[in-house]
Amino acid sequence: MTDIHEYLAEFDDIPGTRVYTAKRARQGYHLNQFAMSLMKAENRERWKADEAAYLDDWPLTAEQKEAVIARDYNRMLDLGGNIYFLSKIFSTDGISFAEAVSTMTDMSFPEYREMMNNGGRPPEGNRSIKGGY
Amino acid sequence: MARITAGVASSHVPLLGVAVDQGKTGDDYFAPIFAGYDWTRQWEEEQAPDVVVLVYNDHASAFDANIIPTFAIGCGESYKPADEGWGPRPVPDVEGHADLAWHIAQCLILDDFDMTIINEMDVDHGLTVPLSMMFGTPAKWPVKVVPLAVNVVTYPVPSGNRCWALGEAIARAVESFPEDLNVQVWGTGGMSHQLQGPRAGLLNREWDNRFMDMLVGESDEARWIEHIEYLRETGSEGIELVMWLIMRGALGPATRCLHRHYHIPCSNTAVGHMVLEPVA
Repeated sequence: MTDIHEYLAEFDDIPGTRVYTAKRARQGYHLNQFAMSLMKAENRERWKADEAAYLDDWPLTAEQKEAVIARDYNRMLDLGGNIYFLSKIFSTDGISFAEAVSTMTDMSFPEYREMMNNGGRPPEGNRSIKGGY
Repeated sequence: MARITAGVASSHVPLLGVAVDQGKTGDDYFAPIFAGYDWTRQWEEEQAPDVVVLVYNDHASAFDANIIPTFAIGCGESYKPADEGWGPRPVPDVEGHADLAWHIAQCLILDDFDMTIINEMDVDHGLTVPLSMMFGTPAKWPVKVVPLAVNVVTYPVPSGNRCWALGEAIARAVESFPEDLNVQVWGTGGMSHQLQGPRAGLLNREWDNRFMDMLVGESDEARWIEHIEYLRETGSEGIELVMWLIMRGALGPATRCLHRHYHIPCSNTAVGHMVLEPVA
């Protein structure tokens, strides 16, 4: 049987990646459920009218609320968000998946798009922090 | 008796659905992607399968963070396209095959796979994009669908080995269904892509193609690939490829490749597509 501690420890060795583990799912439960609520048109209207008031209906931490208002997706991931749930936020903003994803990298959207059109980010050097390969 | 005649693998990038829905499949950006599906659309017309067991993952549409089934099978009569935040896709409702689905569900449970049974749910791009890629824009989908949703979002997700074994069990279940049905199994998602964090945009042409090689012939090497390898080599969302292994497992000991297509990029993702048939 796979040892759960070893299994999870390896995830921390991947550069620039937050694997959505049970720990993150617990931490981000309400953040993700809030994002999920934006799938309903009537909720999207209420959200657009007053984001802060809408967020106050959800038991999020102050940090999570700040990250949402700032659309700081890396921060939201750090605070337990999952990208498929968070996608409801940027879809409501009318932003494409690729543009939203680019905000988590050190590139502008046009630079990111160009990288993708040229074959994407190469795996070389991006597989392991410790191993450096 | 029902029989599994072929397996289809395909990425299910949401942007492909947008291209179909907005009539952009002939644009410079999309044309090379869709050209790789021309062969399959023709072939599907000739094959005229009765049912597709469609393996996909829900992207926070039907299932929220509350209930996370590892393997869920849709046993309902029909499914509506989900509103994923910009309104539902303008595609036909998906007709289920409740008799076959319940039969498979019962067999799988007796075969030690503890399935979650779903009677009502909406289906998102994970399921409807592959239908659009294979069948275009008909007024009504030409097949009935048994949706099989896999958790590939919250870790631990099921192992490649477990997915392969589930495919084998699906094959046993289909073969014991008394009605004469032409059944295909589709595995969707992938290929390499990462939608989050500073490493977003990772693509791996070489690894993806090696993975496709592994699904052809007698090799079962792919079932032993560990999660950490998918994560390192194919990006955080490349793990969806374990769903292709359910399709491959359902085809039995050996396969023949009828068609294969690979294109980079579509949005953040490498598009891969294969048509396989079992070799007796």
